[in-house]
Amino acid sequence: QGTQVKDVIIKPEAPSTLLLDRHADYIAAYGSKKDDYEYTLSEYLRMSGIYWGLTVMDLMGQLPRMNRQEIIDFIKACQHECGGISASIGHDPHLLYTLSAVQILCLYDSLDAIDVDKVVEYIKGLQQEDGSFAGDKWGEIDTRFSFCAVATLALLGKMDKINVDKSVEFVLSCMNFDGGFGCRPGSESLHVVIIYCCTGFLSLTSQLHQVNADLLGWWLCERQLPSGGLNGRPEKLPDVCYSWWVLASLKIIGKIHWIDKAKLRAFILACQDEETGGFADRPGDMVDPFHTLFGVAGLSLLGEEQIKPVNPVLCMPEDVLESIDLKPELLS
Amino acid sequence: QHGRVKIKSTAQQEEEKRKEREKKLKVYVAARDACFSKRKEGIMDDEALQLTQQLLSSNPDFATLWNYRREILMHMETVKDEDQVQKIYETELSFLESCLKVNPKSYGSWHQRGWVSARLPRPDWARELSLCDRCLSLDDRNFHCWDYRRMVVKMSGVPVDQELGFTDRLIGSNFSNYSSWHYRSTLLPLLHPESPEPPSPSREPPRSSPPPSPPTQSHRVCEEQLLKEYELVQNAFFTDPNDQSAWFYYRWLLGRAEREEMISCVYVSREVERVAVACSRPVNAQSVGLLLVLDGQPQRVEWRSVHPQLKHSPVWICDLPPGTISDVVNEHNLTVHWTEKHTHRDCALYTGRSESWCRDSATDQELFRSELSVEKTSVLQSELQSCNQLQELEPLNKWCLLTIILLMRALDPLGYEKETLAHFRTLKEVDSMRSAYYSDLCSRFMIENTILKMEYAEVRVFSISDKNLTTLCHLDQLLLVTHINVSCNQLQQLPPHFAMLQCLEVLEADNNSIEDLEGLHHLPKLEEVLLKNNKISTLADLQPLASCPKLKRLDLRGNPVAGTANLEVELAQLLPSVMHLLL
Ligand SMILES: [Zn+2]
Repeated sequence: QGTQVKDVIIKPEAPSTLLLDRHADYIAAYGSKKDDYEYTLSEYLRMSGIYWGLTVMDLMGQLPRMNRQEIIDFIKACQHECGGISASIGHDPHLLYTLSAVQILCLYDSLDAIDVDKVVEYIKGLQQEDGSFAGDKWGEIDTRFSFCAVATLALLGKMDKINVDKSVEFVLSCMNFDGGFGCRPGSESLHVVIIYCCTGFLSLTSQLHQVNADLLGWWLCERQLPSGGLNGRPEKLPDVCYSWWVLASLKIIGKIHWIDKAKLRAFILACQDEETGGFADRPGDMVDPFHTLFGVAGLSLLGEEQIKPVNPVLCMPEDVLESIDLKPELLS
Repeated sequence: QHGRVKIKSTAQQEEEKRKEREKKLKVYVAARDACFSKRKEGIMDDEALQLTQQLLSSNPDFATLWNYRREILMHMETVKDEDQVQKIYETELSFLESCLKVNPKSYGSWHQRGWVSARLPRPDWARELSLCDRCLSLDDRNFHCWDYRRMVVKMSGVPVDQELGFTDRLIGSNFSNYSSWHYRSTLLPLLHPESPEPPSPSREPPRSSPPPSPPTQSHRVCEEQLLKEYELVQNAFFTDPNDQSAWFYYRWLLGRAEREEMISCVYVSREVERVAVACSRPVNAQSVGLLLVLDGQPQRVEWRSVHPQLKHSPVWICDLPPGTISDVVNEHNLTVHWTEKHTHRDCALYTGRSESWCRDSATDQELFRSELSVEKTSVLQSELQSCNQLQELEPLNKWCLLTIILLMRALDPLGYEKETLAHFRTLKEVDSMRSAYYSDLCSRFMIENTILKMEYAEVRVFSISDKNLTTLCHLDQLLLVTHINVSCNQLQQLPPHFAMLQCLEVLEADNNSIEDLEGLHHLPKLEEVLLKNNKISTLADLQPLASCPKLKRLDLRGNPVAGTANLEVELAQLLPSVMHLLL
C-alpha cells in the first residue's frame, strides 16, 4: 500500500529534437479542416483556438502563413452590441474570448478593427462590488475572469478604467494555505491554471510582493515528476499544458530555476508527434493546437533559441508586448 | 483534449470512422442551427429546451446554449405558477444530474446547477448536499463539486463543525486527500479562531455576509486546536509517508508566523542628510502614507525606493532639505508615521553625533520563528521526536527530512544548525530535481541564523562567507550594516534588494559567480568593493558602481572584464572616485 506516484514513462524512441517545421505545417493545416466534426464541436471556444494557433505560429516566426484578413473580419463579426466578444458567430460574448480576441489583434497590430471603448465598458460593467469579475452577464465569478479583465485592459492600455485596488483585494482573498490561489474565496488551489491567472493578475497590477513566493514556489516545483513533466496538482499525471502554467508561474515569481529544466525539456519534446506535427498532453496521445502552443511556449521559457522569447504573463511573443510598451512585473 | 491515446488504424477503419463522423456532424449542425434560429426569433418553448438538452448532453461546454436555457427558464417563471416553476426546475436538476454523471468536470453544468438551486422556489439543500457526497465519493478531488458544496453549505447554513466532521470522515477513509486537508484549513479558523476573541458561533453567517477578511487575518487557528491537528496529520503521514497532501498541510500548520506590522527601523545620517526607514513588510511609501516629522514639524519630503525596480519595498529613503540637521551642535528629534497602520517610530539625533537610529529589538529572536508560544515548545519537541522516529524507518523520505528541518528551526535555529545542514545535504541527494530549491531555502536559513548571531553580538558587521549561499534575502534587516562579507559562496548577482544596505561601507564578495551588480545602486557610504574571482564580464556590468559617490577601492582581479583593452582608462572615466584599483 502507499501512494503511488502517478507518472508516465518516456520511451527511448520518443522524439528528442524540436520539429518546428512539422508543427508549423500542422497548425497551418488545422484551420482548413472547418467541416470536421471535432472542429465544429469546439466552436464554443473558437476565438481561443485561433489565439493558440496564431501565437504558436508567431513564436515560430510563421505568422504570415495565416489568413490575417479573414481572422480580423471574423473578430469584428464577433463583437456584440454590449462591447464583449464571443467565441464565434452566434455565440454569446464572454471575458475569456474577449481576451483572446484582443490578444490576436495585438499580434496583428490591428486593435482599431474593433470598438475598443466598448470593450472597456463591457469589462468595467462586469466588475462586482467586492472587486471580483463575472465572466459574462450570467454572473459566474472566478479569479480566472479577474485575470482576463486586467490582461485585456493592460493590452488596451486602459487599466485605470476599473477599480484596481478592489480587484486586488478580491484576488488576495482567494489565497490559500499552500500559498496558492483558488477560483473563489475558500476554493482549493485546485490547479495551476488558477495559480497562473492569479500570479499573472498580481504581476499586471504590480502587486507581486503580496505573494508568498517561497511557499508557492515550493508547491509549484513539487509539480515536477520523475519523468520531468509537471502535473497540475498533487497526485495527478504530468501534462504539457500544466508544464507551461507551472513554468510561467515560477518565472513570474522569480523561481524558474527551482525545477530541473533539462528534464522538463525532454518531457515536452517527447510529447511531439513526429508524423502529424503538433504536441499532445502526454507522450503517445493525440495532438491539438492547445498543447502545441503550450509545448512551444514552454520550450521558449526554457531558453530554446529557435523560438521567439515568450512573455510568461500573457503568453504572447515579447516583441509584440514591447511594441505596445507593456512590461508586466516579474520578481527577480 | 486530454488523455486521448493515439491509436493506429487501417485505411478501411479510417474511412468508416470518417463516414460516421460526417453523419454525426450533420445531425449536430442541424440541431445547432435550429437552436440559433429559434433564439434569434425569441422563441422560448419546450422544443427549444429539448434541442438544447440534446446538444448539451453531448457537449456541456457549449456555454451559449446554457445561456439560452436560462433565458427560457426565466421566461417560464413569468408565465407559470409556482408549482409549475418548481417542477420545471426540478426537471432541469435531473437533466443536470445526468449531465454530471457523464461529465462531472463541466464548468457549464455546475454553474447551471448553482443557478437553478438559487432560483428554485422550494430548494432541497439536503438533496444537494447528498449529491455532493455521492459525487465526492466517486472522485474526492473534483474541485467543481467541492466548490458547489461550499455554495450549498453557505446557502443552507450547514454548521461549520458538521463540515469539519465531514472532512474527518473523508480523511479517516483516505488520508491522501489534498482537497479535504484544504477544506480543513478554511474551516478551522472559522471554528477555532485564534484567541482572544471568543469562538464564533458555529453557524455560518447568512447569505449577505461581508466578504472574508484578507488572508493575513483569516488563517489563524487557536493553539489548542493546532495541537490536535498535529496529531491528526501525524497519523496520516505515519500511515503513508509518501503522501504529499498531509505533508503540505503539516507545513501550513508549522509555518504561519506573521509579523506585527510596524516600522522596524528608522535611521538618520547627519552627513548625508538622509533618513532611511524599514517597514515590517514591503509597502509603497506614497500609498501607505509614510510621514516624517522633524522637531515637531511635518516635513514635505519625497520618499524614494532604494532601487527604481522596487515599486514595493520594506525600505524607503528621503533626503532632508539641505541644512536642516547639518548643525552638529544641535539635537534633533524625528518621528516617522505609518499613517495607514496608525503606528510610528521616534529617533533622536543627539548633539555631536553624525548618525543615529532606533530599531525594534524585542522581536529579533522571534523574527524567523513559528508563532507557537514558548510553553508549547515541549509539543514541538515531541513532534520532532516523532519525525525522527519516522526518519529512522524511512531515512530517504524527503518530506520527513524537510519537516525535521522546519521543526528544528521552530525550536532552536542556531542550536540545530549543524544537523540542519546535514539534512539539507541528504535532501539534495535524494531529491536532486529540486536541489536549487533546497539550496535557496538553506541560504535563507543560514542568513537568518547569521542575523540572529549579529543581533546577539550587537555589531554592524554581517559575515556569512563560505556557506554555499545561492541567494540573498532578508536584506531589509541589514539596513544598519556597515560591513558585509559574503565571499566564497555561489551568488550570481547582487539583486536590486541589495540597495537596502544604505549604511554599507565595505563589501567583500570575492569568489562567487557574480555577473550582475544591479543592487549597488546609489549606496551613499560605499567605499570598498572586493569582487575578486567573479564573473563580471563587461564594462557595462560595472555601471551601477558609478552611482556610489564614495567608492575608493575596487578589486576586480580574476573577472573576465579584467581582460578588456584599455580598461584602466575606461574605468578612470566611469569611476573617477576610485583610488585603488586591482585588476
Ligand atoms: Zn493539458
